[in-house]
Amino acid sequence: MQRFFVILKMDLANLFKNLIIISYNTIFIILLIVIMGFLFGGNYAHIEDAYKYFTVTFIIYAILSGAMTASNCFMERDIKKPNLRIIYSPAGSFSIYFSKLLASFIFDYIFHTIVLVGACLFLHVSINNLPLFILSMAPVEFMSVSFGIFFCCVFHNEEATSTLLSTIVSILSALGGTFFSLDGMGKAMAFISYISPVKWLNIAFFRLAFDNNLSYILPTFVISILISVALIIGCRFTFKPEDYL
Amino acid sequence: MEKIMEVKNLEKTFGNNKVLNNVSFDVYRGEVLCILGPNGAGKTTTINILTAALNSNSGEVLFNSKPISKNLRGYKQLLGIVPQDIALYEELTAERNLRFFASLYGLHGNSLDSAVDGALEFSGLSDRRHDKVKTFSGGMKRRLNIACAIAHHPQIVIMDEPTVGIDPQSRNHILNSIKKLQSNGMTVIYTTHYMEEVESISSRIIIMDHGNIIAEGTKESLKESVENEKHYTIKIDSADSIEPTDFLKIIGVKSSQIADDTIKITSDKNIENLDQIIALITKHGSKIININSETASLEMVFLKLTGRKLRD
Repeated sequence: MQRFFVILKMDLANLFKNLIIISYNTIFIILLIVIMGFLFGGNYAHIEDAYKYFTVTFIIYAILSGAMTASNCFMERDIKKPNLRIIYSPAGSFSIYFSKLLASFIFDYIFHTIVLVGACLFLHVSINNLPLFILSMAPVEFMSVSFGIFFCCVFHNEEATSTLLSTIVSILSALGGTFFSLDGMGKAMAFISYISPVKWLNIAFFRLAFDNNLSYILPTFVISILISVALIIGCRFTFKPEDYL
Repeated sequence: MEKIMEVKNLEKTFGNNKVLNNVSFDVYRGEVLCILGPNGAGKTTTINILTAALNSNSGEVLFNSKPISKNLRGYKQLLGIVPQDIALYEELTAERNLRFFASLYGLHGNSLDSAVDGALEFSGLSDRRHDKVKTFSGGMKRRLNIACAIAHHPQIVIMDEPTVGIDPQSRNHILNSIKKLQSNGMTVIYTTHYMEEVESISSRIIIMDHGNIIAEGTKESLKESVENEKHYTIKIDSADSIEPTDFLKIIGVKSSQIADDTIKITSDKNIENLDQIIALITKHGSKIININSETASLEMVFLKLTGRKLRD
């Protein structure tokens, strides 16, 4: 266990030194919220309502994009080679991918919480039951980084994983109403929108944030945990040390 | 000598390509075993199986008489590995790299401090301990790469071409360090393409080709095994009166050439006839300026066993 924490500490240190990843998880998300809120505010809604909408949708977008943080943490070129030494050490292969998973989760969760709290403070976004909202982000965040790690185990390559996952996340987010709601674009578009899991995540967090309605959060919690466990089990079978050689 | 490792009947196939074919050898405690072979010979695959990072299709590796698969963690604890690529965190200092990798072997507190200090001293990087690895030269990185593998004082160190692309000073330092490791009782398995390194450090040599071990022994025994001829190069003041065919009358001489007052003679290794060759030259009134007798080099052995054909 001591070896696992040594690796986890190193993975966290590597992530917290990575300015690009930090910027992607903070400044980029804040800019998206501010720009989209500003553009959509006024003409279609009160600016506060626009900020509310985009704070929730872009926080979920950021959480789902956490898969890319995980793939970077796992297989970024400068990290992949030293990982080889961890494979050779008595630490065991589980420590490698699970420490990356946990480090990415902790890192993303901290920065996404900061962005959320910042939006509440500076953009006057009022979220009912903020602590529960932050707590509810955790399983989704964990599931997202699990996807990133699992796909790295399958593709053995950061670029392939990031390209695939960012494309999927962007498409599902667009369909799920992250950038603008598709509900007003006719029945067909509304139906397509509901196919996207992001739509259901948005609904769950909207209801929690603005209606104090927890009915969608518990299933979200359970499903996210189950998917995460399935992905971690998948990593056990797909992670092959020889892919590092 | 006591066996530290026994490699038995290793076979490995990648797709339809059989890269190891019934490879078996022993490693003795305290020796430097060099594995030589052209590209694609199966050296790195063998090394990867010995490091337990790659599974063989069949065969087994015993460490201290026990299969490594039975106590993988214990085996890895006693193993140090220097990979072919530099496996270091470039953004961290030399000391931080050593601390991290040594702590993966359970070292902490004072034992970790002394292991790090020892490894830095071993690699000649004590004065650069606080510098980031990205500021190091290729040779310094290679030295640190080795230091990270030996900081936890393993019983056996496996080095896969650890001197690729470095300056002669760093290479010399590394080779001396390996001799020092050996004198401290460490066992080293070393793969390389450089014959002069093998000449310098090997206790024993294995030559591999096409997934098979084609020769095994000390450098002296390997040279002897391929050496059935000896070559004399004799420089004389004037060869005008001597014909090359004159030497063929001497028992054992297989061929002779004369060019620019230099006589080159190939003779049977087991027949002592140098005195007769010298007598023949002096009989013709020529004065001998220099005599050079060539013995087989390791490179000659290697090329004779693996052929001169270029490999992919």
